[in-house]
Amino acid sequence: MSMILVACSLFGIGLLGVLVRRDIIALLASVEVMLGGALVLLVGLGASVKHVGSPVSVEGIALIVIVVAAAEAAVGLALLVAVARRRGATRVEDLSEVKG
Amino acid sequence: MSGLTSIGLFWGLSAVALLGALAVVFVRDVMRMALGLGAFLMAVAGFFAYYGFGFLALAELFVYVGGVLVLVLFAIMFVQRTGSGAPLLESRIDSLTVVSSVAVAAVLFVMVRPLAAAFSVSLPATATQHLSQALLGRLLPQFEAVGLLLLVSLVAVVIIVGGERE
Repeated sequence: MSMILVACSLFGIGLLGVLVRRDIIALLASVEVMLGGALVLLVGLGASVKHVGSPVSVEGIALIVIVVAAAEAAVGLALLVAVARRRGATRVEDLSEVKG
Repeated sequence: MSGLTSIGLFWGLSAVALLGALAVVFVRDVMRMALGLGAFLMAVAGFFAYYGFGFLALAELFVYVGGVLVLVLFAIMFVQRTGSGAPLLESRIDSLTVVSSVAVAAVLFVMVRPLAAAFSVSLPATATQHLSQALLGRLLPQFEAVGLLLLVSLVAVVIIVGGERE
């Protein structure tokens, strides 16, 4: 129960960061916090599941999620560097043209 | 590990993770934000080790603390160039964002809480052998797809960052 509370709190704090931060680096870091909360929840629940004979391995799924999130962070940071190089801005207000 | 030590370790990790996450959200100095993110990621790795997933904890350390955090620091160095003083991050905090974030966290907690009773079987940690068997057995298509995704993302990063020449 405590683990669920901590994981949901981490997710909420990350969501708050996504909503209030105005800098792209801080936005990406807040997304990582949200993902960390979800991973803690996944692993914490997976620790109490019988693994032998279960259809999938929780550790394997968490590993795949970590790798996908790392790829997402790499692409996000590359976009950040490219946008900053082209426009000289890293705040979301300065990138309103991206909306199309 | 005794019960008291286990409880103390859990709440210690929780405190580090929550403080690191709060630093990511509220700290204005960008390097301190990166430090908070590092503390948070290490606490998450500690959670993995606490629950007996040693390989996962090492992977978290290598991939996030050793990879993503270094990428964030490099991005900060490339992007946050100011004439003088430390670069600062801005936030726009209002009551609606705080209330909606707390509401989402509360709804998530209420929805997930019944799972704690459903998954109440306590078991010892999984061995790395089981993980390798899963990754090269049942999860082999997903494992290969993730490898392909990593390759595509690396190519995308090279194209995005190095595609333009001034």
